[in-house]
Amino acid sequence: MSTNRHPIEPEELMAYLDGELSADQATEALSHLELCPECQTLAADFRGVSQDLLAWEVESPEVGISSELNAALEEYLQKRQAAKVTSSRLENRVMTSRWVWAGALAIVCVVVGLKLTLTSRNQNEDRSTAYPSMASIEKYLMPDSNAEIALARSAAPEAISSDAKILVLGWRGYETADEGKNGFVCMVERSWMSPFNSAEFWNPKVRAPLCFNPAAAQSILPLTIKRTEMVLAGLSKAQMIDSIKAGFHNKELPAPETGAMCYMMSRAGYLNDALGRHVPHLMFYFPLTDKSSWGADLRDSPVTLNPQFRDGPEPITEFVIPVGKWSDGTVAPAM
Amino acid sequence: MTSDEALMLEFQGGSRAAFEELFARYRKPLYVFFGRRLNNPERAEDLVQETFLAVIRAASRYEPRALVRTYLCGIALNLLAAERRKFSTSSTLGQSAPEPKTDGTPEYVLWVRQAMEKLDSPHREILMLREYEQLSYSDIAELLRIPVNTVRSRLFRSRLALKSYLESEAKTNPGLRASAWQPHPRRRGMQ
Repeated sequence: MSTNRHPIEPEELMAYLDGELSADQATEALSHLELCPECQTLAADFRGVSQDLLAWEVESPEVGISSELNAALEEYLQKRQAAKVTSSRLENRVMTSRWVWAGALAIVCVVVGLKLTLTSRNQNEDRSTAYPSMASIEKYLMPDSNAEIALARSAAPEAISSDAKILVLGWRGYETADEGKNGFVCMVERSWMSPFNSAEFWNPKVRAPLCFNPAAAQSILPLTIKRTEMVLAGLSKAQMIDSIKAGFHNKELPAPETGAMCYMMSRAGYLNDALGRHVPHLMFYFPLTDKSSWGADLRDSPVTLNPQFRDGPEPITEFVIPVGKWSDGTVAPAM
Repeated sequence: MTSDEALMLEFQGGSRAAFEELFARYRKPLYVFFGRRLNNPERAEDLVQETFLAVIRAASRYEPRALVRTYLCGIALNLLAAERRKFSTSSTLGQSAPEPKTDGTPEYVLWVRQAMEKLDSPHREILMLREYEQLSYSDIAELLRIPVNTVRSRLFRSRLALKSYLESEAKTNPGLRASAWQPHPRRRGMQ
């Protein structure tokens, strides 16, 4: 494969399939892959090797905790318990001396106060210096609309996204690139769909491909469109929040329809600096709902409450469930 | 679901339940890790216990700098290296590592296993860490103490070489791939 004809090296193609490229590189790789039969063959070869390797299974017996391991565990736990008791006694001893206690308290107050001041200042500096305000609009746009279309379609398995309506972001908002025919809508969301208090609300690197099902296309997509229109119109966050509240109040923005959900299974997306590519997942939308009704965030529960709309102006609850495969069928790392 | 890293910190603080949960999550992946590399079920079982023993012994020093999955892989790789050194020393005294067991092993598993054995050891380990344990390039680089670019280039070469080995055998026995690709209730590794 000549590098003159291919914008990506074969090794980079492999790294793309492994989810190891940056969002920009992954988008470039994806859009080239869509059009290049030679690279598609190479990608199929890599996937074939991975598939062949799965044949090597190892049957695992039910391994329990051995007596030796249990003894070591007991010993460790006892030591921890003893350390806690010692620490507690030491604390009690200190408590008996009023003067010592008062002095210690004063020192702690000074140290904590100083630390809080410094931490707060550092955090504020981090937040204010990272993405303090909106970057120029072109930084949020993708210059190659074919790349954006490919990225949008990568949010869901091909059987869904190939017939979906595709929206791409232009200077005046989202525009239809493909009308589609199955009622799904695939698009690439930008950073302003983050919570309003997110430090990455204006992060221009964010590319979040998703495919709304028909119920979400009717009831959640209007929110994405509205936020985007307000951003491009230059509204402040406070203005946007007020407008969204009013929109829900006067029914301009609908409540989530029953069954509203979306696919976020692209290996090429970039959700934010904190999560990067994250893991493939599905999202489910409801009018404000207690998270306990889905057992979200409980131990061993695969369901988590997505903070996207938490404490925001949208009366929406959103649950996330990770899935084991990317939209191209390859296995994804665990969450 | 509580993350592995949170469980590890709970265990460090003295929670037996957190340890038991980690053991439940990783006993099978670790068994499979050793099983593929040693082809010796008894030792694989022992080494799972030894991995968790090492976790307990190092618990007070544990810092959540990497995923628990990667941390456990690091311990497992160290134990594996010690195991191999032991047999390497023993073999000079006339005792050799047990031969891999093949009784009852499906033909398509042997096909993959034998192709993997044709790769040299550093290439094979990188490929296994990526394909079976699903580690990132940077995690592999850190565990093996080599640059990320070396991981990527070795992985590339080993995949191409493996493809060639697998295909040459599949040409003489076309049924292999069909059997291998049939659905099996399997999991890769440390997922």
